[in-house]
Parts: sequence; structure tokens; C-alpha cells
Amino acid sequence: MADPDGTLVLQTVGLRKHFGGVQAVNGVDLAVPQGDLRAIIGPNGAGKTTLFNLITGDLPHDSGQIFFRGTEVSGLPPQALCRRGLARTFQVTSIFRRLTALENVQTALLTHHRRHHDIFRPARRLYRDEAMMLLDRVGLAAQAAKPSGIMSHGDQRRLELALALASEPQLLMLDEPTAGMAPRERHEIMALAAGIAADARLTIVFTEHDMDVVFAVARHISVLHQGGVIAEGTPLEVRGDPEVQRVYLGHRKSAH
Amino acid sequence: MTSVRWLVALVVLLVLPLLLPSFLVVVMTEIAIVALFATAFNLLMGFGGMVSFGHAAYFALGAYAAALLVKQAAWPMPLALAASPFVAAAGALFFGFFIVRLTHTYFAMLSLAFAQIVFTVVFKWKSLTGGDDGILNLWPPPALKSPLAYCYFTLAVVGAAMLALRAIVDSPFGYALRAIRENPRRARFIGVNVRRHQLFAFVLSGFFSGLAGGLFAFFNGSVFPDFAYLNKSFEPLVVVLLGGVQSFFGPLAGAVGFKVLETFIARQWPVYWPLFLGSAVVLVVVALPQGFVGLLQRRSWRIRTAR
Repeated sequence: MADPDGTLVLQTVGLRKHFGGVQAVNGVDLAVPQGDLRAIIGPNGAGKTTLFNLITGDLPHDSGQIFFRGTEVSGLPPQALCRRGLARTFQVTSIFRRLTALENVQTALLTHHRRHHDIFRPARRLYRDEAMMLLDRVGLAAQAAKPSGIMSHGDQRRLELALALASEPQLLMLDEPTAGMAPRERHEIMALAAGIAADARLTIVFTEHDMDVVFAVARHISVLHQGGVIAEGTPLEVRGDPEVQRVYLGHRKSAH
Repeated sequence: MTSVRWLVALVVLLVLPLLLPSFLVVVMTEIAIVALFATAFNLLMGFGGMVSFGHAAYFALGAYAAALLVKQAAWPMPLALAASPFVAAAGALFFGFFIVRLTHTYFAMLSLAFAQIVFTVVFKWKSLTGGDDGILNLWPPPALKSPLAYCYFTLAVVGAAMLALRAIVDSPFGYALRAIRENPRRARFIGVNVRRHQLFAFVLSGFFSGLAGGLFAFFNGSVFPDFAYLNKSFEPLVVVLLGGVQSFFGPLAGAVGFKVLETFIARQWPVYWPLFLGSAVVLVVVALPQGFVGLLQRRSWRIRTAR
């Protein structure tokens, strides 16, 4: 079932989740190779965020399997997945609001290096330089001492990206990284994430509503509709897919 | 600058007991114990975002452990005192295992339920605890028997414990604890095992609450089931609200305010004390949400961010 060559970073097999009578994720098979920049698109309610939550261990799934770098990780909690190299961001920015930007990233680094049970040393100087480098990477070095809750929305999203990167992930899952941002900012942050991914050879899976952004950066696209994958391929292939056009345009191109 | 402030504080603490009349030396001793209890409580509330309504359980476990080890096992007082936080921490580990599974109101209510269990056991197990009669005649060794000597002893023990708590708050453990307070979901996704971390914090908080209980047992000369009762559980909550949740020294400021008011008002007009205390809490919560240290805190915040 798992890929024999070990080139897949992420694979889901028949993944299902229902909420009451609603089948939110209905048998999703996903295969994401190493180094991919994969967009998962679909109309509102297609199951994108639920799929994200299942893969990242935030929600238990009903059936199916999840493989990460060739081993099954179904049912592992988020912190265990984080340690194995899976990091994520959220649709609604998720940071530590009353900590400074520097403390945010330092805490993530301390945890990544398994130092977070240490009660005997002051933390202030630990991983400080590394944290500053990460903040610099996402363009926040000048705001290191600012409580993160009072930073601008765009800067908070950058900080969340830095938090995700602190665990040196193999796979970065971004749930609508550009939500609530101005169009220019959207392209900036996606270019930033794509650049970091290329440098660190990490794989990115992201959801996105802005099709300009998707077609500008994605290498492959999976289209989700009513909890299932209806099309998959390069941006060009997906753009020309009649089923995708039907879902997005709301009418049938050809009758069967 | 900071070291000068610390030096001044140290000198004041050393000289003050010599200048105060002996009944105020006793009050000062009690303030130190309450401050430790409230600071231990605030490790959970202020830094971990967990509000316990049953912290008297760990205070009482410490107090009864100290009392029983002296009375039943004939341990010397310093040894019994040293054991008291460990007994309380063991209790916190056992109860906390269940409590940290819940959040918010349910967390508070389950912690309260466990404290009521401790109270009931202590109250009913007459053969061991003496029930309602308590355990009497617990006195420190002769060298520590005078109010002044016990005051210095308490200040030294509490001072060391406060330094340890301060170090915990500033440690990597403390950083992760604050991260959990801010956003448990995000904490999980940076790799923190949230429940285990909360349990660890609960045990540390129970440890220092137990030490406060042990100190109080020999300060009071006796222990009673009241130590585990609701009133005692709400004491650190009131003290922390008065002093300021967000600051490490808020509970200390709250303990001073609370005990000074109690000394001068509750003893004069005992009937009106609850009314006065209630009004004071309302006033502080509404007008000074950051407690007594709120104004100072705002200044030091500016200094910190400027650095």
C-alpha cells in the first residue's frame, strides 16, 4: 500500500470523516512526492480544512490510512507528527499572542530541540540567534521584541510561518496562508514560502482560494469536491479539466 | 539597577522584623507563607492559564504531612518540613492526572471536588488526623521558637522557594507553559505534549503549595481540616486577583495587601470583613484589572520592550 520507492512524503488511502450526516471527507487518496508544491483547491465546504485536520492529527478520522515518509502515522497526535517533521499553519492565524515575536519562535525552537522540560536554565538566551535568523528569514527581525498580538495581520501570518519552520519540517501544510491579506501581500507570502521550500528542499501542501496565487506557485493541484478528489495534475491539466470547470462554473459542459 | 533594587529589598526584609512590634512580626511571617501559596497557585493561573478552585488540597497535604511526620513518626521538624512539599506533589500528581484532562470550568470544578475529598478524609479519619480537633502542639525546635526567629526562618525558606519559582517561570519549561496558556492548539503543533506539560506544572504548583502548608503548620502550632476547605482554596485566588495575575510578583503584592487589610479591618470589625473584602475585589477587578502591580507593570513593560 505504501509507496515502494519511498519518494512520497505524504500519502492518504481512502481517508474518510463524517460529521453527523455530512460526509466531509469521503475516501481521499492523495500522493504527494518529495519536493512537491501541492495546492488543494475546491469550493467552500469541499472538505479542504477537514482533510488538513485529519492529516495533521488535529481530528481523528473514521477510516483510511495516512502515511508520512513511508510509515503509517494514522492516529498519531499533532506533537508526535511535529517531531517527525510535519508542520502546519492555520486558516485563522494561530500564534502565542501575549509573547513577543522572538519568544514565539524561541519557544518553538526549544520544543523542537526537546529542551522544553528544562526548569533549571533561563530560556532568554537559548536559541536566540537561531530565532533571530528565522525571524529575519520571514522579514520580522525588526519586530522581534514586539508582543505578537499587536503586530499587523500580515506580519502575524509571517510569524506563524516562522513557528512552523522552527521544527525543521519535511512537510509544511499551509491552510489558506493568504487568508485576509491584500492581493500584493498574498503573492509576497506565497513567494516567501515557496522560496524557503526550495532552499530547504521541503514539500508544501497548501489550500488557497485565490486562483491567481494557486496557478502562480503550485506545481501540482488536487481538486476537492464534496469530500473527494475529482481531478489532479499540473496547473495546465487541471485548468483544462471539464469536471473542474463544471464544479467551479456550476454547469455541465458536456452531457453523458 | 535591578541588582540595586534586589539589594534594597533584601535589606528591608532583614531589618523590618527588628523594627516591627512582635504581633506585626507574626503578621509578616504569615504574609510570607500566603505569598508563597499564592505564587505557587499563580504558576498555574497566571502562567499556565489554569484556574484551580481546590488548591487548599495541596496546602493541607503539606501541612498534615508535616504534622503527622512529627507526631506519628517522631521526625525532627526540619525533616518533616522538607518532606511536606513532596507529599503534596505526590497528591498533585495523582489528582492532577485527572484534572488536566479537563479545561476551564470543568478543570476548576474537578480540582474543587478533589479538595473536598481531601477535606472529608481529613475530617472523618479521626484516628489518624484527629478529625475536627486537628493536630495540636506542633512547635519548631527551640532555636526557631520565638516569633522573630521563625519569621527569619520563614523568610529564608519562602525567599528560596520564590527564587526557584521565578527560575521556573523564566525557564524553557516556563516559556512552553505560557505558550500553552496563549494557544494550546498551536503549542501542540510546535511539538508540546500539552497535557503532560500541564500535569508537570500542576505538580510543581502542588509542591510549593505543600511547602507553604508545611511552614504554616509550625507557624500555627496546629493543623485543622479547615486547611483543605473552600475558604482556603479561594484565598490564593483572591490574593492573586488583588495583586495581579499577569505579574510574577502580583501574588506577593496581593498577599501583603490582603493580610494587612485583614489585620486592621477583620480584627476591628470582623462582621464587615467579608463585605469589605468583596468590595475590594470588585474594585480591583473593575478599576485595576492588572491588580496592585498593574501600574508598575506597565512601566516595566516599556523598559522590557525597549531593551
